[in-house]
Amino acid sequence: MSLRLCALVVSLAAVAPVSALAQVDRAAAETQIKAAFLYKFSGFVEWPPKAFTRPESPFTIGVIGADELAAELEQIVKGRTVLERAVVVRRMRRGESVAGIQMLFIGQAEGARLAEILAVAKGQSVLTVTESEDALAHGSMINFVFVDDKVRFDVALPQAERGALKISARLLAVARKVLTSS
Amino acid sequence: MRRLIAPLSVRQKLLAVVLVTTLTALLVAIAVMVGFDLRTYRQSLISDMTTQADLLGRTTAPALTFDDPRVAQENLELLHYRPQIRAAAIYNARGKIFASYSGTDGREFPKLPEADGTRIEGNELVLFKRIVDSREILGTVYLRADYELYDRLVGYLGIAAIVAAIAMLVAYVLSRQLQHIVTSPLLAIAGVAREVTEKRTFSLRAPKLSKDEIGMLAESFNTMLAEIERATRDLQASNEVLGREIAEHNRAEQEILRLNTELEQRVKERTAQLEYTNGELEAFCYSVSHDLRAPLRAIDGFSQALLEDFPKDVPEEARRYLSRIRSSTQRMGQLIEDLLNLSRVSRGGLERRDADISELARQVVTELQTREPQRKVDISVWDGMRANADSRLLRAALENLIGNAWKFSSKTDQPRIEIGSLSDDGRAVFYVRDNGAGFDMAYANKLFGAFQRLHSGNEYQGTGIGLATVQRIVHRHGGRIWADAKPGKGAAFYFTLESDGVEKAGRDMAEAQA
Repeated sequence: MSLRLCALVVSLAAVAPVSALAQVDRAAAETQIKAAFLYKFSGFVEWPPKAFTRPESPFTIGVIGADELAAELEQIVKGRTVLERAVVVRRMRRGESVAGIQMLFIGQAEGARLAEILAVAKGQSVLTVTESEDALAHGSMINFVFVDDKVRFDVALPQAERGALKISARLLAVARKVLTSS
Repeated sequence: MRRLIAPLSVRQKLLAVVLVTTLTALLVAIAVMVGFDLRTYRQSLISDMTTQADLLGRTTAPALTFDDPRVAQENLELLHYRPQIRAAAIYNARGKIFASYSGTDGREFPKLPEADGTRIEGNELVLFKRIVDSREILGTVYLRADYELYDRLVGYLGIAAIVAAIAMLVAYVLSRQLQHIVTSPLLAIAGVAREVTEKRTFSLRAPKLSKDEIGMLAESFNTMLAEIERATRDLQASNEVLGREIAEHNRAEQEILRLNTELEQRVKERTAQLEYTNGELEAFCYSVSHDLRAPLRAIDGFSQALLEDFPKDVPEEARRYLSRIRSSTQRMGQLIEDLLNLSRVSRGGLERRDADISELARQVVTELQTREPQRKVDISVWDGMRANADSRLLRAALENLIGNAWKFSSKTDQPRIEIGSLSDDGRAVFYVRDNGAGFDMAYANKLFGAFQRLHSGNEYQGTGIGLATVQRIVHRHGGRIWADAKPGKGAAFYFTLESDGVEKAGRDMAEAQA
């Protein structure tokens, strides 16, 4: 199972730069990669116990403004666990509470409302992931970027620290940029 | 090994033993240590490289997860701080090279990763290790490192050679210094033993330099020497005595030889004298006897003529005197005849031929019976008695012996004469036996001498020359004669006609002296 996923991620990563021919294919591939990365982040981040309402609460990934990614993510997490918890993908809307959510992805589609959404999650133990320029400035913790036909990401540590999240140095090692205290 | 060591001296043997033992112990120790070290080296290298691979896997796991070869590459580049690692590579989950590092050589990497494990390829250690994160296989680490087993081994051998050389040198010097503790008592004993063997001076003693087995050996050796010394002294003493005895014995033997020679010489001289005298005597006797017969015959003849020619003129008294003169002359003639016979028997040749003794004896018996037909004597002569002898002489002997038997049995009631033979040790012994007067054996030694008479002339007629003649005849044949008798119970005369060797010498002498 995990092998298959791994193979998928790697194959997508390898295929991604070559598939520039078809814009649609490329966008789909990018979505797939990001969904996989999202799931992978869970392995490099440490949540405080209070992030979960109950011991048996599932690990919940909230997705806003990225239905395709949410669908992809649902495929990936099916039957998988994070921190020995079941994984649940929740499609959310603006203004919705982030309670019980450990990871929140805000798609590019939200655009200008990004800051507003991030403000809700601010100070919470929710790992916020975005895919917009200057998202880190608005309080996002991890932001996807596209470099040399490859999906990479930047990390902002102060925001994570404010949410009592510990991001593994190993993850930081592969980040394109790491923002420390501003 | 043994053959190699055998001709060495004890000193050299000890040295050799010490050196061989030292070398063996050293080699075993070095071999064990090197073996252990190389094993440890191999294990620690493998464990080190496995750890390194784990570390690399863990470090590059995020890079693999988030598909960032650059980061992985950077991680690998850090390996240049470990020049022992020649090359490394990270394969992704699909088996493609994700990042690689080759420090010193430009060799290619395996196209595909292999299963977890380590192996030695010549002087390199090759290792593959899966990268697993959150139970997902992310890829594989490949490491190639120097495996310096052979270099180490060569290095160790060099050290071993140096250590062995030093150790052997030290052992050599030490054992040279210390071995005299063991060898000097031994050498002292050996020196004494050699001196004793060469100079045969058993008074030497080995010094006892130690209280161990060698000391005991020295003591035993000394005891042995003392024993030998004593035995040698005894032997020499007894040798001297023996030598003296032998010298004396030799001198005595020489003396005996000299005396013997002298004696022989004297015997020879005497024998020659005697033979000469005997010869002369015999010649004299013969001529005298011969010459005496003529006057005797004349006396007898003229006495007879007187009696026959003047039967009337001679008075009875004179006639009686004449008769006595005649009988005396006849007796004297008989005596002369016998003497001539004895003389003849001694002279003349000996003609040995196959002689029939039985026949000769019968002739003699017949003659006797013809001469005195009135006597009744029971005479038995055995058949088939033969001998290689001179029959003329033998007949003379038989005439005497049988005649004696005839004569001396004349006064016996039932006279009996037996002529026979018996076998003594394969030699024939003949005998003539009668049951007549016999004689006392005390006079047996006088029996065969001439003119020896055991009975008076009145009792039995005879000249006393007969048995001397018989003995002469028997002796001329090389035989022997002896008698066995008892007064009144008869006599037996035994004789042989062949030499029986043993008694010849004595008889010769006896004959010469007779």
